Amino acid sequence: MLKGTKKTRLRMKVNGNPVEIMIKPTWTLLRVLREELSLPGTKKGCEQGDCGACTIILDGKAVNACLVLALQAESKEIETIEGLGTPESLHPLQESFLKYGAVQCGFCTPGMLMVAKALLDKNPRPAVKEIKQGISGNLCRCTGYVKIIKAIQNVSG
Amino acid sequence: MKKRGIGLGSIFFSIGYGFSRPDFCAATVEISPNGSVIGRSGEVDYGQGSDTIFCQIVAEVLGVRPDTIKLITADTLVTPDAGPTSASRLTYVMGNAVLKASQTLKKTLQSVAEGILGEKDLLFVDEEVYSETHPEKHISFKVLAKECHNRELPMVETGWHEITTEDVDPETGQGNAYATYAYATQLAEVEVDTETGKVEVLRIVAATDVGKAINPSNVEAQIEGGIVMGLGYALTEEIKLDRGYIQTKSLGDYMIPTSMDIPYIETHIIEIPVSTGPYGAKGVGEPALIPTAPAILNAIANALDVRVTDLPANLENLHRLIREKGD
Amino acid sequence: MQHFEFYTARHIEDALTFLSEKGERCKVIAGGTDLIPALRKEDIHPDFVLNVLELRSLNGITELNHSIRIGSTVTFTEMVESDILSHFFPSLVQAAASVGSPQIRNRGTIGGNIANASPAADVLPAILALDGELELESKKLGTRRLPLSEAIVAPYRAQFRQDEILTGIFIKKLESGTRSAFTKLGRRNAMARARMNLSVILRLNNEEVVEELKIVPGAVMPVAKRMERAEKMLIGKKPETSVVEATATAIVEEIVERTGVRWSTEYKVPVMKSLSKRILGELLT
Repeated sequence: MLKGTKKTRLRMKVNGNPVEIMIKPTWTLLRVLREELSLPGTKKGCEQGDCGACTIILDGKAVNACLVLALQAESKEIETIEGLGTPESLHPLQESFLKYGAVQCGFCTPGMLMVAKALLDKNPRPAVKEIKQGISGNLCRCTGYVKIIKAIQNVSG
Repeated sequence: MKKRGIGLGSIFFSIGYGFSRPDFCAATVEISPNGSVIGRSGEVDYGQGSDTIFCQIVAEVLGVRPDTIKLITADTLVTPDAGPTSASRLTYVMGNAVLKASQTLKKTLQSVAEGILGEKDLLFVDEEVYSETHPEKHISFKVLAKECHNRELPMVETGWHEITTEDVDPETGQGNAYATYAYATQLAEVEVDTETGKVEVLRIVAATDVGKAINPSNVEAQIEGGIVMGLGYALTEEIKLDRGYIQTKSLGDYMIPTSMDIPYIETHIIEIPVSTGPYGAKGVGEPALIPTAPAILNAIANALDVRVTDLPANLENLHRLIREKGD
Repeated sequence: MQHFEFYTARHIEDALTFLSEKGERCKVIAGGTDLIPALRKEDIHPDFVLNVLELRSLNGITELNHSIRIGSTVTFTEMVESDILSHFFPSLVQAAASVGSPQIRNRGTIGGNIANASPAADVLPAILALDGELELESKKLGTRRLPLSEAIVAPYRAQFRQDEILTGIFIKKLESGTRSAFTKLGRRNAMARARMNLSVILRLNNEEVVEELKIVPGAVMPVAKRMERAEKMLIGKKPETSVVEATATAIVEEIVERTGVRWSTEYKVPVMKSLSKRILGELLT
């Protein structure tokens, strides 16, 4: 076999569902989510941890999926944007983002929602300072962060 | 030592391409037999909200709910050309095209409704058409639409609006450069650490004349985003070239503001309507951002009595100016 | 991305055996925040990548009688949230809190920061000022200790053997009355490499004389080091303004001696001097 083409089995949980796939060891979690599991909600921004567009939640912690080798996610629990609410029943964060106009081009939005969820899961009533700190690893060029911070601050439920 | 300063930046900025460059939009509005409304235009909404404006204008004219309008955009097969999303032009140009298409449709609907209801003072509100003085005389928009279709009246209209100007005299620079202008002033308050050259922007207040804010929340959002973009432009963003090759190739090197870098931002929407704009509206995309860097640089000058003439006013550049002034 | 084989070690013995077999063909991965970008850019070409994140013995922060042990795979977030570190080494917590972003801090590890040995690393000056010691393990040599001050010889070159894993960092508890501080100057307020950083440990005796002083500037030299000449100017003396000023001058003089005069010197010298005076002033009030 050509060097590097050997695939290894990866088993993990994604949005509550057990997943088992064969992957190459060089693949990042970002690549596996988007291209092997057809979950393109997690965005590819810089692929080096500088923008946060690929933020997902790994065992309860917000991380950049581009900086996790997929095999490091063996037996772990992953939450992606696709698991946040449904079109019929939006997550309160999604409702709030819509209500406060926190979405413009939408590219940073999945990462912002996931990092906000991780923040609120740990700290349900963060102060503005804590929200700013919490999203400091997520770049946004459109909004200037103002309505995003407001939306996170005012989420109810 | 920390020193504070306040500065202003004031601009007027052109809407559209100007200088006799072709500048037009087409927009089609169609009412189907069941009363649902479809809009079609080549316009591109990449987050700034032109789709929303399209729907709001149709909704305002025809009295339908804006969130029920189905939009098809940016498809060369089925949408008419609306020109690029740039030059802060879509609300102003596309808005007028949408307005024209909607108003033509309304005329057709109105004349049929007048015949059915026997009144002329008709209002189109909340999916109903009714007489202002005799509101018991009413017909639903859906039923009216069906009736118009039954009578084989035209229920598809394309609006076309052009703002191409004549140009200016190449010798004197006088003439008709642009169709209209937006005006904006921003105030910046900064605190400079004179020992490190680090600038903390404490506060930015923006007053932006947009003619008419068809969607005030979106106008605010544009201004907020523009301010933060202007802040990065003034203080940290730099493309470094080495013999033509870009060195700052990643988001780690090209530094745009994070949530920890934003000041307190206050936006004031000024509405001085222009007769040439849809409902008096102009544009805001670029006016949102342009006054920011000048305001910040003026604030730095106010704080330090030092003039920054090269951007970005980053740590090293500003510190050098401070040292040179001190010498 | 290039080709490599990936192995997750579940027991330290397996990891050590694997490393002893593969040697320099193998790279160790913990949080991956430095390694994965390097792999993408093909700065390095390992045949094997060894994942140590599942090794229990590399995790955890423990208080011992005279020192604190920080497992090498402790993340920056875990450092920031640690009551033990907040109590014993607040300057180290400050340094950890200044790294990258919340996402980076949730994955990046203290061991990775040390092993990567970037000149601009944030926790290195803090650990150096605290005289931190590294614990290294290999199949061949077993466990050994190495002061951090001797571990990094050049930028991005930590002096570990090819078959060694960094398993922990030991820091001796400070004598009561010892104060510590860390400061970082970045171009923006988050996700910023240090333009310069600085960590200082200081203790005055009952007569207000400086008894202990350790100064480590970072991001201004190829390898962060204690400024021992500058320290000696203040140790045994009362910290009067003129003495503090002389100490700050000595710090930047030593930096320039080590790096030579470069384009950045005209900025580095006055600014590092100012930061030094500020941090010393802070510790002396």
